[in-house]
Amino acid sequence: MAKLHSETRALFRGLAFVSPWLVGFFAFTLVPIAMSLYYSFCDYTLLQPPLFKGLNNYRLLAHDRVFWKVVLNTTIYALMALPLGMIVALGVAMLLNLKIRGLSIYRTIIFLPSLVPTIASAVLWLWLFNSKLGLINTALRVIGVTNPPGWLTDVHWAMPALVFMSVWGIGNTVIIYLAGLQDVPRELYEAANIDGATTLRKIWHVTLPLISPVIFFNLIMGIIGTLQVFAVPYVMTQGGPARSTYFYTMYLYDNAFSYLKMGYADAMAWIQLLIILALTALAAWSGKRWVHYQGS
Amino acid sequence: MSSFSTRILSGIKRLVVVALIASGLGLLAFGPRAGEELPKDCVIVDYWEKWTGDEEAGMHQIVDDFNTTVGRKEHIYVRYLSTSSIEQKTLVAIAAGTPPDVAGLYNQDIPQYGALDSLQPLDDLAAEHGITAQMYKKVFWDECHYDGHLYGLVSSAYDVALYYNTHIFRQSASALEARGLDPQRAPRTIAELDQYAQALDRFDPSGRITLAGYLPMEPGWYLNYTCIWFGGSWWNNAEHKFTFTDPGVVNSFKWIQSYSDRLGPTAVNDFRSGFGTIDSPQNAFLTPSVAMVQQGTFFAHFIHRQNPSMDGHWAAAPFPSALPNLRDVTYCNCDVLVIPRGARHQKEAFEFIAFVNRQDEMEKLANLHCKISPLAKVSEGFLAHSNNPYIRVFDRLAASPNAHPTEPIPILPEVNDELNDFEQQLQLQQVSPEEGLRQVQVRLQQKYDQFMEDQRQRRKQHGQTAF
Repeated sequence: MAKLHSETRALFRGLAFVSPWLVGFFAFTLVPIAMSLYYSFCDYTLLQPPLFKGLNNYRLLAHDRVFWKVVLNTTIYALMALPLGMIVALGVAMLLNLKIRGLSIYRTIIFLPSLVPTIASAVLWLWLFNSKLGLINTALRVIGVTNPPGWLTDVHWAMPALVFMSVWGIGNTVIIYLAGLQDVPRELYEAANIDGATTLRKIWHVTLPLISPVIFFNLIMGIIGTLQVFAVPYVMTQGGPARSTYFYTMYLYDNAFSYLKMGYADAMAWIQLLIILALTALAAWSGKRWVHYQGS
Repeated sequence: MSSFSTRILSGIKRLVVVALIASGLGLLAFGPRAGEELPKDCVIVDYWEKWTGDEEAGMHQIVDDFNTTVGRKEHIYVRYLSTSSIEQKTLVAIAAGTPPDVAGLYNQDIPQYGALDSLQPLDDLAAEHGITAQMYKKVFWDECHYDGHLYGLVSSAYDVALYYNTHIFRQSASALEARGLDPQRAPRTIAELDQYAQALDRFDPSGRITLAGYLPMEPGWYLNYTCIWFGGSWWNNAEHKFTFTDPGVVNSFKWIQSYSDRLGPTAVNDFRSGFGTIDSPQNAFLTPSVAMVQQGTFFAHFIHRQNPSMDGHWAAAPFPSALPNLRDVTYCNCDVLVIPRGARHQKEAFEFIAFVNRQDEMEKLANLHCKISPLAKVSEGFLAHSNNPYIRVFDRLAASPNAHPTEPIPILPEVNDELNDFEQQLQLQQVSPEEGLRQVQVRLQQKYDQFMEDQRQRRKQHGQTAF
C-alpha cells in the first residue's frame, strides 16, 4: 500500500515536471487537430459559427477540378523531386566520404545552400531562371542553344525547373547520408576487397544494405516534404503558368486564408494526412524487405 | 587541491548567478521600452494599415494631424501600426475577438467580410457625422457598400488610364503618320490602339521583340475588367448572376488573345520575363520596353521615383474604348478604413475615419499617395499641385458615369483566381475565349450559389434574417 502511494506520488511529480509540455501539446497540437477534424465536416469561415454539413466538403472535393489538378501536380513533383533528390544526395555523400584534400571545404559548400532562407533562395533562383537575363539561359546561349526555354513561364518547363531547384537544397540529406556512410564498418570493405569485389559491387552489397536505415529515414522525410511543397512555388510562380505549378498545400492555403473556406481546407488537410500516412505505411511495409538494421 | 578547485568552481557559480540577476535587473531598469508614449487621458484607437514606405509615411502625417487636433480635443489617440498581410491578420484578430479599432483593407474585401458579418455597418455613424452619398464620387461610395450597408470609407483612391511614352511617339512619328495616326496624341479607340501598337512594335534581326507598342498582359492588373471598355459586364448584381458569356466580355478577351496571336505566346513570355515590378527601374514602361500601359493614378509617382529622366516624356489619357459612343471609361479601386466586428472603440474609431474623409485631409493624403480624391468636391489647389501632372484626366474619369467599381461579390478572391488562370491559358492559347468563359461561368456560378446557400442555412440556424 505504501509502495503504491509512493508510486502515485512519483507519477504526479513526474507529470508536474512534464506539465508545461503536456499543456502545450494539448492546447496547441491535440485540440487543434481534433477541431480541424470536426471543422472538416463543416462549412466554416472562421468569422462565423461552423455549420455542420456532414461529408459535403469531401463530396465537393471529389468534383473539384482544381483539387484534382493540384493532386496531379503534387504527385508529379514528388515522383520527380524525391528520387532525384535522394539519388543525387547519396551520390554527393559518397563523394564527400572519400579521403581527398579539402574535404571539409567541399562539405561546407554542399551544406551552405541549406542555410539560405527559403524566400531568399527562391528570389535568387527567380533571377537564375529568368529566360531573358538569367545565368542559366545565358550559359545555354554561350554553348549554342539558340532558343533556351522560358523556365518559369513555359507550362512544360516550370515544374522541371522547380524540381531542378529542389536539388540545390539537399545539404541536410547529404549530411545524414554522410553520417550513415561513416558508420559502415571498414572491415566489411576490407573483406570485400579480399574477395575481389569491384567498387560497384561494394556499393551494392555493402554500402547500400548498411545505410538502408538512413535511406529509409530520408525516404520518409522526403515523402512528407515533397507532398507539402509550398513556400518556393508560392514565391516563384504563384502556381502559374496556367496552374502548372499549383500544388496541394498552396490550394489548401488559398482555401483557408483567401477564400475563407476553413472547413474545406481542413478536409484537404485530413486527406493530405491520410495520403502521407498511407505512403509512410507502404514505405514501412516495403522496408521490411530492404532495410537492414545492424545487429538485428 | 580538491577543496581549492571546489571553492573556485563555487565562486564562478556565484559570479554567474549574480551576473545573470544583475543583467536581468539592468534590463528591467534600463532596457528597451515601447517607442510610443501613450497619453493617459485618451481613448487609444488601434489602427492597422497595410502600407509601407512613402505610403505609410503619408498616412502617418494624417494620423499625426488627427492626434494633434481633433484627437486632442476629443481625447482620442490613434496608435498606427503598419503590418504586412493585413487581410489575414485582421481576419485572425476578428476571429479571436481582439480586432483593431480601425483596419485599412482593400475595397474588394468589403463584400467578402461584409457577407460574413465581420465588419461593423457604418450607416448610423456616417449619418451622425453628416457623411452622405452626395459627398463622394458615386463609384467610390458604391465600393464601400455591400448588400445595402456601408461597411467602410475610403482612405486612398485611384482609377485607371492609358500612360503613353511621348518620346517614343515622337521618335516613331513617321511610322505612325504612315498609318494615318497622330503622334501628338493617344489612341482614342481600341482599333486605333491596335494600330498604334503595331506601328510602335520593334524587333531585333532574329525577330525577338525589343519594344512593344502595347501588351494587354503588361502589367495585366486590370484584365478582369477589360470588358468595361467593350461595353460588357460579367456580373448582374440585380439577379446575382455571372454573365461571362456577355458579348462585350467575350470580345474583350478575344482582343486580349489577339496580342499573343499576333506576337506569339512564347515571344511575349520571353519578352516579359525581363521586366521588373512597378517599383523598379526595370519596369516595362520605364526601361522603356512597352510604349503604352494601362495603369493607375499612382503610377506617376513610381515613374518619377524610378526614372526621373522620363518626367515630361509621358502623358496620360482615357483608356480607349471599343465602342464609338463609350467615352471616359475607367475602372476604380480604393483602400478603405473599416471597423471590424468586436472593435472596442467604435465611436472613437469613426471619429478618425471621418477625419480622414474631410476634404483637406483627403486631398493631403491623395497628394502624398499620388492618387485622386474620392470626394465629389475637389479643390483647384489639389488639382493644380498634384504630383500627377495628369490628375485632371484621372479626376474626370472617376467622376464619369462610365467609371466602374469592383464587382460586389463575396467570393471575389475565387473569381480573381479563376479569371487569372483563364487569362494565362488564353495567353498561352490553351483555350478559346468562348470555351474558357463558358467554363468559368459554370464553375463560378456554382461556387457563388453554394456560398449563398451556406449563408442562408447559417442565418436560419442561428436565427438571423436571411439574405
